[in-house]
Amino acid sequence: MTWLIWRQHRTEVCVLGLLVGAFGIALLVLGTQAHDLFPGGPARCAGEAGVGEACAASFRRLDDEYGYVENLLAAFYLVPVVIGAFLGAPLLARELEDGTWQLAWTQAVPRMRWLAAKLVALAGVTVVLTGMFTAVLTWFRQPFDAWEGRFQYDAFDLEGLVPVAYALFAFAVATAAGAILRRSLPAFGVAFGAFLAARMSVALLARPAYATPLTAMEPVPAGGPTDQAGHRFVPGVADWVIERGYADATGHRLSSVEYYELEDAANRAGANVNQFLHSRGIQQFGVYHPADRFWTFQLIEAAVFVAVAAILVGVVVWRVRRRIL
Amino acid sequence: MTATGLALRTDGVGKRYRKGWALRDCTLALPAGGVIALVGPNGAGKTTLLRLVVGLLAPSTGTVEVLGRDVTASTPQTLSRVGFLAQDHPLYKRFTVAEMLRFGRACNLRFDQGLAERRLAKLGIPLDRRAGSLSGGQQAQVALALALAKRPDLLVLDEPVASLDPLARHEFLQVLMGAVADGGVTVLFSSHVVHELERVCDHLVVLNQGRVTLAGDIDTLLAEHRLLVGPRTANDLDRAAAVVEAVHSDRHTTLLVRDGGIPAAPGWQAQPVALEELVLVYLRRPPEPSAGDPSEVTA
Repeated sequence: MTWLIWRQHRTEVCVLGLLVGAFGIALLVLGTQAHDLFPGGPARCAGEAGVGEACAASFRRLDDEYGYVENLLAAFYLVPVVIGAFLGAPLLARELEDGTWQLAWTQAVPRMRWLAAKLVALAGVTVVLTGMFTAVLTWFRQPFDAWEGRFQYDAFDLEGLVPVAYALFAFAVATAAGAILRRSLPAFGVAFGAFLAARMSVALLARPAYATPLTAMEPVPAGGPTDQAGHRFVPGVADWVIERGYADATGHRLSSVEYYELEDAANRAGANVNQFLHSRGIQQFGVYHPADRFWTFQLIEAAVFVAVAAILVGVVVWRVRRRIL
Repeated sequence: MTATGLALRTDGVGKRYRKGWALRDCTLALPAGGVIALVGPNGAGKTTLLRLVVGLLAPSTGTVEVLGRDVTASTPQTLSRVGFLAQDHPLYKRFTVAEMLRFGRACNLRFDQGLAERRLAKLGIPLDRRAGSLSGGQQAQVALALALAKRPDLLVLDEPVASLDPLARHEFLQVLMGAVADGGVTVLFSSHVVHELERVCDHLVVLNQGRVTLAGDIDTLLAEHRLLVGPRTANDLDRAAAVVEAVHSDRHTTLLVRDGGIPAAPGWQAQPVALEELVLVYLRRPPEPSAGDPSEVTA
C-alpha cells in the first residue's frame, strides 16, 4: 500500500513540498536579516521594553525594510488550506472520476483498510507540510509579534496550532466533497469555500467568546489616552482589544452620541478635550483578552476545526463502509 | 470451490438508487465451472448486478453469495478469489504497464507476476509504456492480465468487448477462452451483443428492466423451447401459459413455446429455436412485475 499511495500521490506531494520548501527558504533568508535588527533577540523588545530607544529604532527599521513581507504574509493563512485541499480532493474523487475505484476495491485489500491507509498517509503529509511551513512562519514573525502581539488576524491565524487544524479541516472537507461530487476540481473548490466561510464566522463570532473578556477601566488622564510618562493604558498592544470606549464616573458606558456631545461641549468651552473629560470624572475602558491567553485560544480553535474534520472523515468512512457510492 | 458447487447465488436481490430500482427480485443459482453470459439491453441492470457480485455495491434487499460466502464480508481471502474487469477496463492511466503489475502484486495475496508478463509479452505489449498511451484493445488486455494473474476462482467481466474493434475483440475473447480452458475458472460476463453466445457460453441469464426474465443452462433452455408454426389462429393463444411469444402473419401463426417438447397438435409443425432468436424474444418481452422468480413462471 505504501508504494501505491506514494505512486498515486507523489505529484501533489512533490509540488507542495517544493512550494513549502521555496517559501521556507525565502522566509529563512529574510527572517535572519530581520532578526539581526534585534541584538539579543526580538523577545527582549516585547511589551513595555518596546518603547525603549534601541527597540523603537529596531522596530522602525523592521517596518521600513520588512513591513511589505508582513503584509504579503497576511494572505498566507490560505496556504494550509491549499495543502489540505490539494491532498484531500483526489483521494476518492480521482478514483471515482477514472473508474479505478472498481479496480482498487476488487483486489485483496479490503476497502476499509485501503481507505484507512490513504487517510492516514495523506493526512500525515498534510500535517507535516503545514507544520513545517507554520514553524518557519512563526519564527519569521517573532520580531513583528514582539511589536504587535500575536492576537491580530495576521498573527493568530498563521502561527502555532491553528494552521495545522485549518489544513486538516480542508483535507477532510475536500475528501468528503470528492466522495460525494465524484470530481476532484469541484471538491477542491468546495473545500476552499467551506474554509473561508468557516474561518470568517469563527474568527468574527466564535473566537472572541472562547473566554470571558476582561474589562479595564481608569479615569481619562489629563494628558491624553496614553500620557508621555511611560504609563500605558492597561489593554496593551499585545492584548486583543475587542471594544474600547468611555464611561461616566458611575461606570455607565457612553454611546458615541453622548461622547460627541461631550467633545462638542469641550470645544465650545475652548478646553483641552482630555482635561475636560478628566475634570468630569470620565473614564476610559477596554474590553480585551490578555496576551497570555494566546495558547488557550489556539488550543480551543484548533480543537474546533479538528473536531469538524473528524466528523467529516467519519462521514467518508461511513459512506465507503456502507458502499454508498 | 469445486465444479459441483455454486459460483453465485442470489436471493431476492434488489438495488435501489436515488432514481429508483435498478434491480429487483433477482434470484439466481449458477454453478461453478463454466461460462455464464448475462445478457440484457442497455440500462437493464447488468452492471449493477455484477457490482453486487464483486461486492462493490451492497444490495438494498436480499443476499449475494459468491463461492459459498456472503460478499459483503469482504475479507482478503474472499476478495482474492474473485477477479473483476470493470466496464471500459479502467487502469491507472499514468502508471506504466510494469507499475500496473506492481500494483497487482502489492494489493493481492497471490499474484502470478510471471503469468501476467508472459501474456503481455505474447501480445507484444511493452512493460515500460504508460497505460494511458496504449490502444483500447491493449488496455483491455492489460486489465485482463491483471485479473487473471490473481488466479481467481470466479472472473467477472462487465461488457469486456463492447468498446473494442472487431479484431481486438476477437483477440480478447481468444485469450479469455484460452484462460478458461486451462484454468478451471468460472467466468461471468455481461454483454448486450447476442450472437457468438452459443459458441462461448454454458449458461445464460437474461435481464430486462431490472428483472431476470430467463436463466438456465443453454442446452436445457434450447431443449425446453421450440417454435410451432401453424395456420393463423385467434389472439387468445398469446395468453396460454406455455406460449412465450406469438407472431401472426397473414396466413400463419408462429409460436415460441416453453413446453418441454410434448407432441405438437395436428396441423402444427415444430421446429427447434436458435439461441439468438430465443434471447431476442425474451429481450423483447417486458418482464412481469408480479412474478417472484420469473425464471420459474413457465417451468
